[in-house]
Amino acid sequence: MDVRAQIVMAFHLDKCIGCHTCSLACKNIWSDRRGTEYMWWNNVETRPGVGYPKRWEDQERFRGGWKIDGKKVTLKSMPKGRTLANLFFQPNLPRIEDYYEPFDFDYGNLAGAPEGNDQPVAGALSQVSGEPIEQIKGSANWDDDLGGSTLYAEWDPNLPNRELVQKFDTIFMQYLPRICNHCLHPSCVASCPSRALYKRGEDGVVLVDQNTCRGWRFCVSACPYKKVYFNWKSGKAEKCIFCYPRVETGQVNACAQSCVGRIRFVGVVLYDADLVEAALLKKDAELVEAMRGLIMDPHDPQVQQSAARNGVSMQWLDAAKNSPIYALVKKFRVALPLHPEFRTLPMTWYIPSLAPVLSVLGDTHRLLDQGIIPKVENLRVPVQYLARLLAGGNGAVVEEVMQKLLALRTFMRGENLGKPADPEVLSRAGLDREAALQLYRLFTTAGFNERNVIPPQQREDQAPELRRKEAGFGILTRVKSERTDLTQRGGKDD
Amino acid sequence: MLNTLIFVALPYVALALLFGVSISRYLTNRLTWSAYSTELLERNLLYWGSNPWHYGIIPLLFAHLIPVIFATAVALLLGNQATLLILEGIALGLGLLALLGILLLLLRRVNSSILKRATYFSDWLILILLLVQTGTGVYMSAFLRWGSLWYLHAAVPYFRSIWYCNPQVEYLADFPPVVKLHVACAMVILAVLPFTKLVHLLYLPIDFLKDAPILYRWRGGRVAKREF
Repeated sequence: MDVRAQIVMAFHLDKCIGCHTCSLACKNIWSDRRGTEYMWWNNVETRPGVGYPKRWEDQERFRGGWKIDGKKVTLKSMPKGRTLANLFFQPNLPRIEDYYEPFDFDYGNLAGAPEGNDQPVAGALSQVSGEPIEQIKGSANWDDDLGGSTLYAEWDPNLPNRELVQKFDTIFMQYLPRICNHCLHPSCVASCPSRALYKRGEDGVVLVDQNTCRGWRFCVSACPYKKVYFNWKSGKAEKCIFCYPRVETGQVNACAQSCVGRIRFVGVVLYDADLVEAALLKKDAELVEAMRGLIMDPHDPQVQQSAARNGVSMQWLDAAKNSPIYALVKKFRVALPLHPEFRTLPMTWYIPSLAPVLSVLGDTHRLLDQGIIPKVENLRVPVQYLARLLAGGNGAVVEEVMQKLLALRTFMRGENLGKPADPEVLSRAGLDREAALQLYRLFTTAGFNERNVIPPQQREDQAPELRRKEAGFGILTRVKSERTDLTQRGGKDD
Repeated sequence: MLNTLIFVALPYVALALLFGVSISRYLTNRLTWSAYSTELLERNLLYWGSNPWHYGIIPLLFAHLIPVIFATAVALLLGNQATLLILEGIALGLGLLALLGILLLLLRRVNSSILKRATYFSDWLILILLLVQTGTGVYMSAFLRWGSLWYLHAAVPYFRSIWYCNPQVEYLADFPPVVKLHVACAMVILAVLPFTKLVHLLYLPIDFLKDAPILYRWRGGRVAKREF
């Protein structure tokens, strides 16, 4: 057992209203510099849709992630030897048009245009070349709300049947916010010839060392989520940093802090690195279960011991026990990973949306089998679509989650109306009354500190009682037995 | 006078700048140490420019270095006329490949408006220097015959004399101007290399070939490379 800590974000898609506040909060803090204008470390996509960059899920084109190669996994992009041969030109790199050419507007012209018969306009200027753009052709959310578009939605690689989005009675739309997944098995890290990308041992955040990066761009291609970007100005790769300067000081990520729908949860999970290899070799359909299997119960003394051996402090263990992520992913099994079949073991988890809840069978509004709550098979979003997005194609995994979410709705509706629902509703879905109430609380009234459980990372916070008298005025002491104690508890500082 | 400038002063200035500035840039400003790729912005011409350029110039660079280090072995190899002919043919081919590449890379910068703000003075400087260097090289290869032989017997002893701090200008003093231009341009390229994006060639990424895929780092500097 080799238990490590990982800081994780989860998203409740039912509550996402697609307002892009998260994206703007992120951009204002991190990517408003020259060369980063086109990057959206956090972005929100309309699904079905092509996403950003366009068709990023199409790994036959971008060749991101891992593939099973006999008894081990190897990078889908290219073996190490070919990396050297492709240093000069990378076949799988997205083009700027796959993202979009970033633009600003010539506002100066509104006031400064010479007198004339026409109203002056603020023309678009490219933020790459500075030249005027005749016609803006795209942006990170150009297909916003175009769930029925034959130009965008129809090209979603996850659609089981393209005609679904063409007919009015089968059309559907959801939002998908995305950040870097800070994967347990990151292909970007593995692909870097300079070894500039790394995973932080303490919290699992994946970062690019800007001093080591030489701009070979292999990470950009290797990330199947296209969440590593190339800054054309600085010549280096950049990516979501999980707002580590905020998280380290006990604040939550800018995207989660600003989320108006409160859809995001941030917390710690403990995972067993010894199980990663076996999990990676599972079939696509078994990957979700294997990923859940990696996450360990923080109440288990054996897990705690192994975690402590790896330097996980008491505060982190406490945070793991109270983690909303552990509850959503492992305890209640309602959160799913995004595209587990890329085999990077992504550590962002999504609670699928029930909306839109209209039926696709018969009369559109006849849904009265369970009160006004529809059955899974009557939901408008095809289970197979969600399965391809969130479960490696395994519809049963998605159905289990949907059953739980529907049962929770039925149960809570009964409670709130004073007409308790059939007690079987919960047990059929694998929940009980206590679980339902806890889930309900997490989804609705949970406060900031319940949704976001961020452990302290500053060394003086990790074990303040042990650091007493080590610094400051007066006679400094360092009691040996206390240091030993510190090491055993794992709160060590390298 | 000109000979002394090109063959004595220039090499030492170039070497001093190359070593001094590269080391200081590595120690103080690694943040700008990058290949500054523009593939993201323009890739169609880059494919036909960058690939021929690199695949042409890298073998040629080694072909210039190896005789300096292994002069006797190369002399034996070139003694056979058939080998000499084949090697010269290959070298000319590679030179033409590199010339095509660098021409396209230069024209690409001229033509693409999207690269305007991603192109600096130093980019123009090295593109033009490299074009001159490759052009004179190809000219010599095509019109001044058996270049590899006289390179071995004139340029190599001269380079060694530079290395031993006893510059022997007479080895190269009587060559035609195009050869002198080729040598001078090479020195200028070495001199500006640490100031430009050419620094990327001082860093060859090979360590990763033997590494485990996943790299972990801890606060305080602990590093581990692991399978998982």
